[in-house]
Amino acid sequence: MADEPTLDIDRHLRYWTMCLRSPLPYHYLSSDGNRMALAYFMVNAVAILTPPGSGRDSPIPASDRRSLRQWVLSLQQPGGGFAGSPTLVLPTDSDGQTVDSSLANLPATLFALQLLALLADDGDEGAAAAFDGVDRARTLRWLRRLQRPDGSFGEALKQLPGRGWFVGGGYDMRYCYIAAAVRWILRGDVKEGEPGWVEDFDTDALARYILSSQTYDGGFAGSSQEEPHAGYAYCAIGALALLDRPINGNPQSSGTLVANIRNRRGLIHWLASRQFVYLDPPESQDDDRSDDDDDEENFRLPQRLSDLSLTENLRHVACNGRTNKVADTCYTWWVGAALANLGLGLGSEQGDGVSDGVAPDLLLDRAGARRFLLERMAHRIGGFSKHPGGPPDVYHACFGLTALAVLGASCLA
Amino acid sequence: MPPKKKGGGKGKASQASKPPTATTEEKATSKDNATADKPPTKEKAKANDSAIGPALPPSSTTATTDPPPATSTTLPETQTILERTRARFTAARPYEAHLIFGPQQQQQSGPLPGKEPGLGGLGDLQPQERSAWLATRIAARIARRPALSATATTVGSATAELARVACGGGAKTIKEVWRIVNEGSVPLRAAGEKQFLGSATGPVSRRIVRWEGLSSQAKGPSAGAGAGKQVPSSSRESQTIAAAEARWERRVRLTCLSAESRCFRAQRDRERRGVCDDRTGERVVVTEQEVVEEKRRRLEIAALRREMSGQGAGSAARGVGKIASDPEWDDVVPVVLEEPEGALASIAYPADYAEAMSYLRAVMKANEHSERCLWLTEYIIKMNASHYTVWLYRAAIIFALKKSIADEIEWLNKIALANLKNYQIWHHRHLLVENHFPSISSDPSAIATFAASERQFLERILAEDTKNYHVWSYRSYLVNKLGLFSDPDELASIERMIDDDVRNNSAWSHRFFLVFSHPDRATPGVAATEPDPKVPPEIVDREVAYAQSKIRLAPQNQSPWNYLRGVLVKGGRKLSEVEGFTEEFVKGLGKGEEEEDVKSTHALDLLAEIYAEQGRKEEADLSLQRLGQKWDRIRFGYWEWRRRCLGMGAAAA
Repeated sequence: MADEPTLDIDRHLRYWTMCLRSPLPYHYLSSDGNRMALAYFMVNAVAILTPPGSGRDSPIPASDRRSLRQWVLSLQQPGGGFAGSPTLVLPTDSDGQTVDSSLANLPATLFALQLLALLADDGDEGAAAAFDGVDRARTLRWLRRLQRPDGSFGEALKQLPGRGWFVGGGYDMRYCYIAAAVRWILRGDVKEGEPGWVEDFDTDALARYILSSQTYDGGFAGSSQEEPHAGYAYCAIGALALLDRPINGNPQSSGTLVANIRNRRGLIHWLASRQFVYLDPPESQDDDRSDDDDDEENFRLPQRLSDLSLTENLRHVACNGRTNKVADTCYTWWVGAALANLGLGLGSEQGDGVSDGVAPDLLLDRAGARRFLLERMAHRIGGFSKHPGGPPDVYHACFGLTALAVLGASCLA
Repeated sequence: MPPKKKGGGKGKASQASKPPTATTEEKATSKDNATADKPPTKEKAKANDSAIGPALPPSSTTATTDPPPATSTTLPETQTILERTRARFTAARPYEAHLIFGPQQQQQSGPLPGKEPGLGGLGDLQPQERSAWLATRIAARIARRPALSATATTVGSATAELARVACGGGAKTIKEVWRIVNEGSVPLRAAGEKQFLGSATGPVSRRIVRWEGLSSQAKGPSAGAGAGKQVPSSSRESQTIAAAEARWERRVRLTCLSAESRCFRAQRDRERRGVCDDRTGERVVVTEQEVVEEKRRRLEIAALRREMSGQGAGSAARGVGKIASDPEWDDVVPVVLEEPEGALASIAYPADYAEAMSYLRAVMKANEHSERCLWLTEYIIKMNASHYTVWLYRAAIIFALKKSIADEIEWLNKIALANLKNYQIWHHRHLLVENHFPSISSDPSAIATFAASERQFLERILAEDTKNYHVWSYRSYLVNKLGLFSDPDELASIERMIDDDVRNNSAWSHRFFLVFSHPDRATPGVAATEPDPKVPPEIVDREVAYAQSKIRLAPQNQSPWNYLRGVLVKGGRKLSEVEGFTEEFVKGLGKGEEEEDVKSTHALDLLAEIYAEQGRKEEADLSLQRLGQKWDRIRFGYWEWRRRCLGMGAAAA
């Protein structure tokens, strides 16, 4: 179609180049603990925008990769895992004194590993050496200690005086996903008894925990006793898919765990319900969009249901993270990617008709979602914002791109 | 100052302090790099004054072209340091001044000769003046030289020898030089060039260039002041004499304060090492009062340094931040972060934050658990509450010092209200309650009191942010931990929230948990999506009616529809049980545009399920078709998929 918006790749590259070249403004201070994540968003976005063969120059030339990898590795902790920020990396002692174990952080560890993979040198040799310098065995042993008896994972370990070891970080599906991902990346095909073998964490317990976290309305939450959330749904499905995937390098998922989701149809229903027609707020309200979480502004309901049948109102399809919540760039990614991952498990399914016909990743109105991201969320300086009209930030700018990629934008990796 | 002199007296003494001796001043100058490169000090300036004294200007017959003489007794009235220095220079070196400032301007004491210094250079001078100028330079050089030759018996012979070397001429030339000097009463002992023109000793022309640059910089009355890390010398020279003297006073004050502060640190160190006072034989003790004074002193030092260096905020980088100026932290060597090349996602850290983190690294490295560390975590959390490592460290300190957990929870309330989107705060609260609960678990009234105070706070924070995910997660944890399923206040609190906003899905989710995870009604191990025979029928009926009443308020609200379906499944009921109710929202389905009216797509969705459950496939398919075609076109793909699940869609497509 002639009026289909396109992604202004050069503009977005300029945004990312700016983020890479100069320090982030102090507004990012609250993300200081997660600098590894910010770094990943930047490098990942650049990788998406400049796939091999695109003819576009990456703002991260191959010659820079070595020093960037070194920075990532400088945050590795002696007890395994990576710290999230150099502001809390302690100088290591030559006398081998133990450094505080709470510095290593589970999400930071996954982002570090992904950064190392993204920054690997070209070619098979570079890919094979991507994780050189990572203390694989220590990290896997540390990962094992982050698992709680109920199968779930925390994000950090701390010895509390008089209380022993404590797995910190709340009950959060994100850690479960990340644990499954770190395991998948690092475990490899090492057999018991071979050098470098580390005892695995309890994958059955993790799968049980995840499967029991489905909620009455079909979504997934940190536990079944909380409100379902699209980010957690992505993490739950993703974790099961990763646990399904054989660790010997075969990318083909067995699909058994994903197929074990109790109420798959309810989950698809819940995920499909995350998209809604985004209606622009009336002009007069533009000025006081100060409270960006004001549901009235962003989650507008039509005057009459039948109004939604008008073609022009279907132009922008937004996603929210929870029932009756506001539109947010990143949920187009979480919902879209969750549906895509769910497809992996659905292929093997027989019997109740879920497998045939429409693939689950077509359950999202791709064209409308693309238009919404490009026409309402893309910022004029590049990047994407969280809410319509807001400023861009690296988190939403990255997930805007990943969402477009999963929505099938051909120009992206 | 002797250390035995206690701080109480020192503060006062220094407040009324007089300019110190040269030694102290020298110390200050060498200590403070920022002020090392300074204009002439008072003493030196005075010496220069006296040097000008005997130097008389040449009395010339050609007064019109001559550089007008500057009298030594009545220097022109000057406003700025620069003007004063210039006046003195002119008085001592009329020819040089003429060359630099030009013939007209050298007498003026106004602003600098902006664009027109004596561009003519030597050519402006009369031949007679030129030779006088040359003679002065040679003679001055000779006069300043000490006797070099050991063989020279008199100073005179040595200087004569030198003069010969200096001007490369014979004895006759030397005689000529001295003659000119004597005739013109040319000043030999004048202000050193270095003091006026810096260290540049190049030819006159180079100096002129320097002057031009200088004067253009100095045009603004306060050019450069407070702009950079160091006040440029031009602005120092263009400042008024009063300002220079005020600055001088500040330097004196700073020197005194620094000396006192050094005494304090030394005393503190003695106390730490357990040293005994020589005279009294008692152990050295630093009193609270002295610490208070030292804090005040360091703040003043920091303020003075900022004023003098023209530096505003960001002083922490120079080691005079909040923590560095607190004697409490004297013994801690901060671990400064150096970002290497290749550092990703670096953030423009505010100076206070960078300083605090460098101290945090130091105390965490030492595994210190103390009151000051507790304070440090609070200080950092107020700047950035999302560093989970900091929270874990804080928890460790709380337990190590056996602090009251109740107090910590109280403190946390304020932090949570100030950081609504932060979730590390709730992880910390979770940890605290986990460790607090054993102390109240055997006392039902203590649990009730704690539950009530927690609910009060949760209601308050949820009033600010009604769907805050982490608050709701914590709330369900708390209900589990304290066993609040039967607490009528909890259910009533949730009903109030749904009454306030019937679309608040967080509240609906909490209600489902409250009702169906109740240990009396839930079979362990049964999933939320599965029927549980333990649920009493009257509870199912009650919840179905509740959801229906809320649906009537807003039919297109998915929350109660989801709830209704969840309740029916949990209770092991058929969806068909609500068929009549659901049909209320769908009229004339498939009977044409005029007659068909759908008040809720969620009703139509449920109807499709109900019809399918009853084996009424055609009606189910029609419902799904109408959703995809008209009432919920955005999910067209989904409705088509549902049709295929029915075994219907493929034929239609």
